[in-house]
Amino acid sequence: MEIDRADGRQPNQLRPLSCSHNFLNRAHGSARWSHGDTTVIAAVYGPKSGKKTNENPKKASVEVVWKPNTGHIGRDEKEYEIVVKRTLESICLLTVNPSTTVSVILQVVDDDGGLLPCAINAACAALVDAGIPLKHLAVSICCGLTESGFVVLDPTKSEEQSLQAFTYLVFPNSFRSVLPGSPLSVEIGPFENGIITSTTHGVMSVENYLFCIERGRSASAALSEFLRKSLTKWNESNS
Amino acid sequence: MVNQTIKLGDGLRQDCDSIAAVKAGTLRFSKPNKYWVESSHKRYVPCVGDTVLGIVVDSKMDNFLVDIKGPTLALLPVLAFEGGTRRNIPKFEAGTLLYARVIKTNAGMNTELSCTDERGKAAEFGRLKDGYMFESSTGSARMLLSSPTCPVLEALGKKLSFEIAVGLNGRVWVNADAPSTIILVSNAIKASESLSATQQRIMVEKLIQRIE
Repeated sequence: MEIDRADGRQPNQLRPLSCSHNFLNRAHGSARWSHGDTTVIAAVYGPKSGKKTNENPKKASVEVVWKPNTGHIGRDEKEYEIVVKRTLESICLLTVNPSTTVSVILQVVDDDGGLLPCAINAACAALVDAGIPLKHLAVSICCGLTESGFVVLDPTKSEEQSLQAFTYLVFPNSFRSVLPGSPLSVEIGPFENGIITSTTHGVMSVENYLFCIERGRSASAALSEFLRKSLTKWNESNS
Repeated sequence: MVNQTIKLGDGLRQDCDSIAAVKAGTLRFSKPNKYWVESSHKRYVPCVGDTVLGIVVDSKMDNFLVDIKGPTLALLPVLAFEGGTRRNIPKFEAGTLLYARVIKTNAGMNTELSCTDERGKAAEFGRLKDGYMFESSTGSARMLLSSPTCPVLEALGKKLSFEIAVGLNGRVWVNADAPSTIILVSNAIKASESLSATQQRIMVEKLIQRIE
C-alpha cells in the first residue's frame, strides 16, 4: 500500500544527501552534512591535553557543544549534546590518547526535520577529517510512524509534526575487508544486529518499533555507501 | 597467505584475529613487512625519530614544555643539547621556536624530544632565529621532505636563496635575506599543497616572474 508524502517520495526513500569536508580553516576537522534542507556543520578540535576532573584518566573524553540556529541554548540542546556525546564515545577509540579531550561543536544551519541524525552524521565525518582514531563509523537515520500506521524514513519537519511517533537510530557502518596484494575489496556485511543509539519520541507499539529498526538498518547501508564515497574523494584530494 | 609477522604502523590496530583501520587514508606497504595508513591532518601523531618544530610553552626544573601540535605537550630535557651540563642550561622564553627530534612516545606519557642527533652532536637542532614560521598539514610536510626534492622547492631553489626547516608535525620555517623572498617562498609552499608537480612548477614560475 502506498501513501502520499508531501514531497512525492516513497516511504523508503531518503532525501538527497550532501557532505563536504575540511572547509573550516581553524578547526582540526570539519564536515557539513545535509539531508535535503536540514544542514548541520560539525567542527572537531583535538585531541588536546587536559580533561575535566571527574572523567576517567585512562580514557580520552569527548565534549559536545550544540549551537542551535536561532534562540538560546535550552533543555533540548542539552539533551542533544548528551545523546551525541554518548554516541561518539562509543565509536571513538578512547584508550589511544588517555587524558585528552576531543571537542565537537555542532552548528545547526537549517532545520527541516531529522536534526539529530544529520548532526551525528556530520560529527562522525568531522572526526574522520580530524584523524581521531575510530573503531568504525556511525550512520544515523530518522524513522517515523504515521497516523495511518505506515513507517516512513527521513521525514521533513512538516511530516515530523504530523507523525504519531518517530525514532532516531544510529547504526555502525558496514565492514569491508581488503586483502593485501589484491586490489579488490570484499564486503563482509553489516554488523549483525548492531545498533549504537536509539531515541524515540511519541508512542509506538513494539512491532512498529522493530519494523522501524529493520527499515533503518537497510537504509543505513545506503548511507554507509555515500559516506564511504565522500571519504574516498576527500582522501584523493588530500594525497 | 603464508604465515608471516607483519609490523603495523600508524592507523592500524590489531583486534584479536583481525586488523582494522582506525583512520581514513591510503593503505601503504613497505618491504619487508610494514603496513600503515597514510593520511594528512592538521594535528600530529608523535612518532619516534621524526624531526619536528616545537614552540616552547613553559620551562620546568628538568624539562622544557614544548607544543608540537600533538595530543599532549612534549618534554625537552634541559640537558638534551650538545655539551649540555647543569652549568650551561639554555634559556628559552615562551614562544621560542625549536627544531628537535622525537625520542620517546608512549601511550599516556608526554612525548620526549631531544636537540641532539643520535651521536650527541647538535646537527642543526636547537633554536631557530629570525625567519617566519607557518603551519601546514602533515601530508604537506611529508611532501616537502620527500626525496627526490619536491618540485616546488626545486623550482624556488633555482632562482632564490633561502633557508628552510620542515617539521613533520606540520610546521615550516623559512628564512632569507630579504623579507620579500620569505613571503614569496611561504606563499608558494602554502599554495602547493593541492597542486600536482607540473602545476607547482608553473605556479612558482609565475610568482618569480612577478618580482623580476
